[in-house]
Amino acid sequence: MDKVIIYAAVNTKIRALEKDFLKREDYLNMIQKKSVVDVARYLKENTSYGKLLREINIDNISRRDLEDILKNNMIKNMDKLTYYFRDDYKELIRSLYIKYEIEDLKILSRSIFNGKELETIEKPFSFLGKYSRVDPKILFKSKTNRDLIYSLKGSVFYEFLIPLVDGRRENRFRFEMALDMGYFSIIQSRKLKISREDRKILKEWEGLLADLYNIQWVYRGKKFYSLSPEELLNYTINFGDKLTFKERKAMCYTKNLEEFYKMITNTIYGFLFKKEEISRDIYMERRINRFMYYKLKALDRQFSLSIIQTIDFVWSFEFEIRDIISMLEAIRYDIPSEEAMKFLVKVA
Amino acid sequence: MSVEKMKIVGVIGKKNLLSKVLRLVILNGSVHTINALVRVNSSDFFLPPSEKNIEVLEELPFLKPCSSKKDFSKDEEVVKSLLNLFDIKPQVREEYLGQDYNYDDFTKQLSEIYDRVRSTADEIEEKMRSINKKREYINSLKYLSRFDFDIGQLISIKHLAFRIIKISRENYDKLKKNYENIPAVVLKLAVESKYVIVVSITPVILEEILEKIFRSLNYTLLPLPVEFTGTAAKVIEELDSAIDKEEKIIGSLKKSLEDCKVKYIGELKKGYSRLEIEKKIEELKSDMANGDKLFFMFGFVPVSNVAKLKSELETRFGGDVIILVDDVDKSGSNLNPPTKLSNMKLFKPFETLIKMYGTPNYHEKDPTIFFALTYMLLFGAMFGDVGQGFILLFAGLVLEIILKKEDLGGVLSRIGLSSTIFGFIYGSVFGSEKIIPPLILSAYIYNIINSGIEKNVERGLFSKNGIVGLIFYLILLYTIFHVVVTHSSISPALVYIMISLLLLMVFKQPLANKLIHADKLYQKSPANYYTEEGFGVIETLLSIISNTLSFIRVGAFALNHVGLYIAFATMARMITNSWGSLAILVLGNIIIIALEGLIVFIQALRLEYYELFTKYFRGDGIEYVPAKMELIPSAERRISLFRKKSVFCNIGSIYLYNIINLKWGS
Repeated sequence: MDKVIIYAAVNTKIRALEKDFLKREDYLNMIQKKSVVDVARYLKENTSYGKLLREINIDNISRRDLEDILKNNMIKNMDKLTYYFRDDYKELIRSLYIKYEIEDLKILSRSIFNGKELETIEKPFSFLGKYSRVDPKILFKSKTNRDLIYSLKGSVFYEFLIPLVDGRRENRFRFEMALDMGYFSIIQSRKLKISREDRKILKEWEGLLADLYNIQWVYRGKKFYSLSPEELLNYTINFGDKLTFKERKAMCYTKNLEEFYKMITNTIYGFLFKKEEISRDIYMERRINRFMYYKLKALDRQFSLSIIQTIDFVWSFEFEIRDIISMLEAIRYDIPSEEAMKFLVKVA
Repeated sequence: MSVEKMKIVGVIGKKNLLSKVLRLVILNGSVHTINALVRVNSSDFFLPPSEKNIEVLEELPFLKPCSSKKDFSKDEEVVKSLLNLFDIKPQVREEYLGQDYNYDDFTKQLSEIYDRVRSTADEIEEKMRSINKKREYINSLKYLSRFDFDIGQLISIKHLAFRIIKISRENYDKLKKNYENIPAVVLKLAVESKYVIVVSITPVILEEILEKIFRSLNYTLLPLPVEFTGTAAKVIEELDSAIDKEEKIIGSLKKSLEDCKVKYIGELKKGYSRLEIEKKIEELKSDMANGDKLFFMFGFVPVSNVAKLKSELETRFGGDVIILVDDVDKSGSNLNPPTKLSNMKLFKPFETLIKMYGTPNYHEKDPTIFFALTYMLLFGAMFGDVGQGFILLFAGLVLEIILKKEDLGGVLSRIGLSSTIFGFIYGSVFGSEKIIPPLILSAYIYNIINSGIEKNVERGLFSKNGIVGLIFYLILLYTIFHVVVTHSSISPALVYIMISLLLLMVFKQPLANKLIHADKLYQKSPANYYTEEGFGVIETLLSIISNTLSFIRVGAFALNHVGLYIAFATMARMITNSWGSLAILVLGNIIIIALEGLIVFIQALRLEYYELFTKYFRGDGIEYVPAKMELIPSAERRISLFRKKSVFCNIGSIYLYNIINLKWGS
């Protein structure tokens, strides 16, 4: 089908929705606020989130409530977009939920592992069941991670988690790794009927993600977990855009971190390790996110009528929520606003 | 033929009888329960202070809602496992519910049976588990069956660890590409869809490292049996025969349960039915009220069912319950009775379309017949065609009779019939216009009758849809007709009459209140009232014009229908190939039926809802939903039903026979 037919309507919708994103001055104003309620009030009175918060009494709103409201708004907007697509494209848009659902599943598993009561967890589980279509109520009933895995039966995640259930090897680290690997395996193995151009864009975009996450993983694995090179390699994502398997393998088998940095500096991902040692751990995540944010914008301009506008919109939405939450966290840990700015993705 | 009259039935009795009373009520299936507290507190609730009622009157001021929620999860478990064990189908049958029984005693009895068979059940389960384990062994051994060596020896080697694992293809890819760093001999045995089966052999001292590596590949270990020797093929054989043996044991265990089954089958079958009705009873309890010793239940019952319910209650409980039967129409009642529509079979399916708009109010006149007739008329007028109508009729009948979609199928078959009839009478399409004016008029008359029933003088006499409005509309039509046909000027008398009629409409509220000698002339402040009514007059004039124009659309659609057909017929004629033109005609007909049929269906519905319903129909009633369950009727009832059906079939076939005879005879 012609790309104009597929994308003209949805891209217009996206343009309209993007108008609602926060402006730079909104960030600058919000970061000066001193409490969650102040931030909520600013959102209510000065931004497009006012519509969302109109009915809500914000005087004693908690971070979790606010996060839940924002995330549900994101879900609502994503659901809106799926109406513009058909067949496999619908499935593709829906699969953007996988990432967020996995995120929630990991938090749930962590909470179960730590024996926390569900009400006391700071994170809302807004995305549970959005892709897998599992009823979150059933998941919440699980007392152990084993229950959690069994209650995911019938969903796409099950096959990746079921090997964990043989008694002695069930632990959180493996649960999270299995899900992360599962995510890339799902998006790699799906056979979608989409246009050749979209397939190309997706391949580049997903490859880029894989590269960045692989580098981050090897770095962390080496620095914090001291895993063997074989294990490191086995846990990497099995595809990439710029990095070949050989390079990936070499990355895992570097003798020490210095050698690893040197290797990465010679690739286009060198920006990850440019600055001094201390900032690497803290800001790596943000550097990756900013890179992706600008990469999305670049792709957006390059392919004007394609799937990338929708992906860009969803990710920008995520970054915006992430930034709002970062600001709330900065308030909680009393981080001065100049410092806090360094954690934001969408403004610098 | 209309809205069925209701009575309020109340039942008051000892609390321990509540479940039994509710069970009877559900089986009776005619009580629309209402919240007992609301009923007791309504102004017209009255209990004569007699000897019999003294206890009830004492408790009345202290009623509480019935709040205890029973937990059925344990009962469910027992019933479910018993059904499984004895291969009984879960069915809710009427014959298991009619008797007088106590649910708690019954479940006790059931769990006793369950306890008796539990040891056997556990044993069966144990054997099943063992069989499953062996099947797993066989499953892993079958990958080795092409090798001719003693696997017992391999498994029990002291310094080498041997295992079979399953990993995903992409992970196998990683393993293969990094083979030089893996401390083990790894062999690919088989590929199964997304997975690869791999065997590994490694020195025991390196097993821990290998375990870590495999773990990072998210592997699944395939279990191997330890206590067998010989080649894989031989071990599989041995395992197979062991499974056979165990299956035989299970068979005999199940047979030993047979005695139990014969003995208790009656009770077991009852279990499911009784559990299900008990759940339903719990649901109903939320509407009940509890006193200290008594329970209160109230509900609306159609007049025709009251006697039956009462006699059933009386024969079962005698003097233990007090039954109150009150009329609904008693003045002062603030309860809104539910509406049960009962109409002839011809009109019944249209009730669905009415309920889509709103259930008629209990005090309203049932619009179904009027709606059905006008709807069929409108549809037929817009979609008059014998062939297409017949297809709709046929499709409707298939839906109604074979697929049991009675509402949709019923409506479809009836409008199909009407379309067929119109198809016969259509020579000129414009003929349908003559039907239109009386239709609007009948909506006026309907409103007047409705208001008459409600004794609403303001709406019936003076409103824009009442008598004054009707006269105004008629005079207006006459004037327009007169001017257009005779080209004469408008007579001033008619203008004066129309203006005075409009004034009557403006002053409708004070006039009506004067007539019925109400204490106040206006419900709100007069200034507000007159502003509103002033605009009301303009609205009246506008709506009269727009409504009349709306109905002209019926003619337009009738034209449209023919126009589409002409288009396809012309296209068909343009094609020289006779098969091709036939195909075009068939295609055209399909498009007309699907597209036009839908448009006309909606258009007719629109006319009904917005041009007619807004004139006379309020639709703010509550639907009658009695408490009941889907039951499989008991044996005797089923036979009698079957007989009835077969009589119908006979009559049907006689008619068909006659028709065929006539056809061939002539």
